[in-house]
Amino acid sequence: MTDTVVTAQRPLLETSERRRPVGLLLVAIPVFLIAWLIIWPIINAIGRTLWRADANGDVGFTIASYVKFFSDQYSVDNLAVTLWTTGMCALFLLVICLPIALYLRFSAGRLPAYVQALAIFPMFVPSIILAYAFIRVLGPNGMADILLNSVGLPKIRTPYLTPWGPVIGLVWDNIPLTILILLSGLGGVSNQSIEAARDVGAKRYQVFWHIILPRITNSILVALSFSILGIFSSFTLPYLLGPASPEMMGPFMQRTFREVNDPIGAITQAVITFGFCIVFGLFYVRSVARNQGK
Amino acid sequence: MKRRDFIISAAGTVAGMALLPRMSFAAEGVIDWYTSSDSNILDFWANTVKPKFEAANPGITINLVDAGDGAGIIAIGERAIAAKQSGADPQADFFESGNALLPPGAIEAGVYTNIKEAGLSNYDKVNPLAIESDYSLPYRGSQVLLAYDTTKLDPKDAPKTWDDLVAWIKANPGQFVYNRVDKGGSGGNFVRRAIHQANGLDPSKFTVDNYTPEFGEEALGKTWEILKDIAPSLYDNGAYSSGNTQSIQLLSQGVVTMTPVWSDQVLQAIDQGVLPETTGLVQLQDLALAGGFTRSIVIETGTNRDASLKLADFILSEEIQTAILTELGGFPGVSWEYISPELQEKFADIVPKTIPTFPSGDWEAAINDGWYRNVAPNVDRNS
Repeated sequence: MTDTVVTAQRPLLETSERRRPVGLLLVAIPVFLIAWLIIWPIINAIGRTLWRADANGDVGFTIASYVKFFSDQYSVDNLAVTLWTTGMCALFLLVICLPIALYLRFSAGRLPAYVQALAIFPMFVPSIILAYAFIRVLGPNGMADILLNSVGLPKIRTPYLTPWGPVIGLVWDNIPLTILILLSGLGGVSNQSIEAARDVGAKRYQVFWHIILPRITNSILVALSFSILGIFSSFTLPYLLGPASPEMMGPFMQRTFREVNDPIGAITQAVITFGFCIVFGLFYVRSVARNQGK
Repeated sequence: MKRRDFIISAAGTVAGMALLPRMSFAAEGVIDWYTSSDSNILDFWANTVKPKFEAANPGITINLVDAGDGAGIIAIGERAIAAKQSGADPQADFFESGNALLPPGAIEAGVYTNIKEAGLSNYDKVNPLAIESDYSLPYRGSQVLLAYDTTKLDPKDAPKTWDDLVAWIKANPGQFVYNRVDKGGSGGNFVRRAIHQANGLDPSKFTVDNYTPEFGEEALGKTWEILKDIAPSLYDNGAYSSGNTQSIQLLSQGVVTMTPVWSDQVLQAIDQGVLPETTGLVQLQDLALAGGFTRSIVIETGTNRDASLKLADFILSEEIQTAILTELGGFPGVSWEYISPELQEKFADIVPKTIPTFPSGDWEAAINDGWYRNVAPNVDRNS
């Protein structure tokens, strides 16, 4: 990695008036698509759950479906297990990915290249294949059990069909994205600043705490909010690896819609899920905005 | 490739794909056949039914198309209704698997053929228990059985009644698993068998339109008690697999000794070596586990309506009905007396005298929701 900084000859952002219409035209299509395929369905969903016909057929404002959701212990349990799973995944992702990213940033040679390839590998494995591989390896009488048994150790308590099943699967699935974002953040930490800190006698953890961490807080927030957004509404892994109950919001919504034939209930769950996701989304937007402001 | 070339060729491909469906047209003598079933059924048609039918009927061929799932078939049914209204060709002749009531209004619109009055020579042989509508033809069935590992459970000790089964489950904790009620018919029909058990073993108590919240609560409430009672003795103190295949996987890994399975899936699994030869099968003799039939539909407005009716008659012939039993592992759609005596003898152990069915409609939603709320939560799982 080179440390030479090329000074830009001209500002990257041109602000001359004549370029504006082209720029606006370029963003118009994605903005239109987002408004059409995402914003409008959200407004529609909120509207459909809040303005509904009552028993007499009069359409009026009601929060009955939300009251029903939050007064129903079963639904609240599902929401709680979703939050728990998301929190656990975020914690494990940070603990696993940060050291790997630091290693990849500050070492050179062939081995880190292999490590990086290995760390990105989960990105190319479809989650349904991951789920079945997981069952064969960590499931009951799976490969892990066979290996333990061959050296005379007792069987593991398998995480398959417990809340830990989806956690392990989702963490594995989200490692590549987290590492890539952390790596790009670490790219912004210059070697000079670390060498300067070492020169004045900073120890390893001091370098990490005072020099590296403040520079990558943004990346950590972005990485976590990206993963959390995906994990919160994930479907395949919780469905195949998790317990029948409590279930995560993804399988719960799908089941309410398709098997229980309760579209309003499913939309209510979707709006609540979206409400939580928007909080994580705001973290992301805030850190992007802060970056742009610099 | 240059970017420009790429864009041009990509645009060309997209335009071609958009035009493709319009360019296809229904040909005389080619039956456009659609299925929503699994790939084993498609293989069965491609390798067995299609060659035999085409050999017996020169000049007619079958175009086998996988419509994906039930929603795919319904979409083609909707297209046929729309085609009829505009006087166009529906480009579909035969649904291997369908529900005559879906899409709503298809019968009223005159899109589905009344098979009862179509004059099929084999129609009288159809098992009367399986007929749901005059507009659909039950030609194969499948039923849920109990599969078990004969190396751990002697076939002569295998449970033959529900009470024996419950006693066995409690005596062998952790050795039985069934899948979630909505994620596959094997577990779903195990739960329905429990409903029959809780309500005097009388399947006729439940019809497609007699669900009321009061009756549902009474009938299902008793069922949840039965299922909650066995839950602590199930695999992993009350875990439920997420589908038919996952149950078979747990059985094949030797994790459990017994699980409910679909007859056709388990016979194929044994045939392909997924399950060992030592897998035993048993059906409850006091009242069998519920099953279901697959019903075919002929499109009245299709170009090849008459050829499709020939096909409908052909699949009821003894040749195909025997193949359904021996090659597919399914149950015949015709009554048992039309099957050769040797086969009746061979399958006597697993074939019950009746095939109980359970209605769908509002019951399905009530069972799906009730099971998740009452049976699945199990607070002491990790204790």
